[in-house]
Amino acid sequence: MRNFIFFIRRFFNLILFLGLEIVCVILIEHTNTMQGNDIISSANTVSGIIYKKQSDVVYYFGLRRMNDSLIDENAMLRKKLDLAHSSVDTLKDSLVHAKIAPLDTTSHIVRYADYVYRTARVINNSTNASDNYITINRGSSDGIYKGLAVISGTGIVGRIEHVSAHFSSLLSILSTKLKVSAKLKGGTNGFVVWDEKSPDILTLVDVPQQVTVKKGDTVYTNNYSLYFPPDVMIGTVIKTEIIKKNAMQLILLRSSTNFHSLQYVYVVENKMAGEKKQLEDSSAKK
Amino acid sequence: MNVYIKNILRFCIIIMLQVLILNKITLRWWNEPNGFPIFIPYVYPLFVLLLPFETPVWALLFLGFITGLTVDSFMNTAGMHAFATVLIAYLRTNVLNALLPRNLSEYAGQNPSIKNMGWMPFLVYSLFLILLHHLMYFSIELWSVSNIGFLLLKVAASAVTSMLFIIVYLLLFTRQGSFRG
Repeated sequence: MRNFIFFIRRFFNLILFLGLEIVCVILIEHTNTMQGNDIISSANTVSGIIYKKQSDVVYYFGLRRMNDSLIDENAMLRKKLDLAHSSVDTLKDSLVHAKIAPLDTTSHIVRYADYVYRTARVINNSTNASDNYITINRGSSDGIYKGLAVISGTGIVGRIEHVSAHFSSLLSILSTKLKVSAKLKGGTNGFVVWDEKSPDILTLVDVPQQVTVKKGDTVYTNNYSLYFPPDVMIGTVIKTEIIKKNAMQLILLRSSTNFHSLQYVYVVENKMAGEKKQLEDSSAKK
Repeated sequence: MNVYIKNILRFCIIIMLQVLILNKITLRWWNEPNGFPIFIPYVYPLFVLLLPFETPVWALLFLGFITGLTVDSFMNTAGMHAFATVLIAYLRTNVLNALLPRNLSEYAGQNPSIKNMGWMPFLVYSLFLILLHHLMYFSIELWSVSNIGFLLLKVAASAVTSMLFIIVYLLLFTRQGSFRG
């Protein structure tokens, strides 16, 4: 026993050092397995408040740019709205014309997706790590939970990762952990990943060799994703490479979202995602 | 000024500097789309480097751990910065013993600084520990040996830039006269 105490006293520093390093490794592993430790993340209250204060100050410098982007987005939405209104009226020649007019049409319409958009302000942002996180000023009290998709006016941004009462931090697409299914103009599907090098360049993988891709083609999200709404822009093609090994193409995209100057984002909730996920999980189990 | 208050103040200043200013600027040595890694300088290990000479090792370890965790909580890296910082906190005493001509206990009430140690020993001391910290941190962050050149490039670029910022910090915040900053 005396020897043991002597041993502890002699190597106390080394033991403490190893103990603290083990704590760190446990913390790292805990986050990397996506179990979510919300205490040590920028969604926690102290970091959240400090980032909020900073953002309040810096906010004013970006107002002009933000106004421009909002006007652009409004114009785009208006254009879409016009398109939707001026579509062909197929009911015109129909005989059952009168019957399809009850007031509560909602109960007859079956939707496979039902999106709710919530706005949020970016209060912290990073583009230089291997896994970049963005902190926003909405949390569980605003109905946000882990896994929701986040888009901006110009394209996709990421996915919610940690949530506290008033803040949440999201993993941006500039991360090695996130993979988003995407489609090319012709309908070919692939995955968008990030190769950690430049925050403006994304990579589209798993596109077969025979598909012709032109420089400047646009890449959108597809219908397969649980959380991302379809037809959100991801980026435009800048370069294609053919990988001989598996006869696939590797396509470099210029991200349509400017991650350096992100100010407002939309958190998108798909009300039907739970049902879809349940079904897919149950079929995966068999 | 009381040594505790001084160090708490320095902790706040360095963390704020790191989190609110340095984390916001992304540096790149030349502008090639996907060749050279982007990086940010990490100045916060300076807090551990500047603690008084007679700080016991266990206190160094705890302070390093707390510093690392604080930065982790701001940067969503859960434990990575803490790991690297605890490592340099542990090795600090050995490096100082190797560099200083006299025994550490003879420097009562002093901090490691350019004034107390001289330019060269202080730069060697901080460069060695900063390099070690960066190597540890970026190895954990990338977690692969497949592109070791990329890793070493990132470590070297980041360490050199961090050293520049550390020297600027020391020149700015060291007051001449009786107060030793």
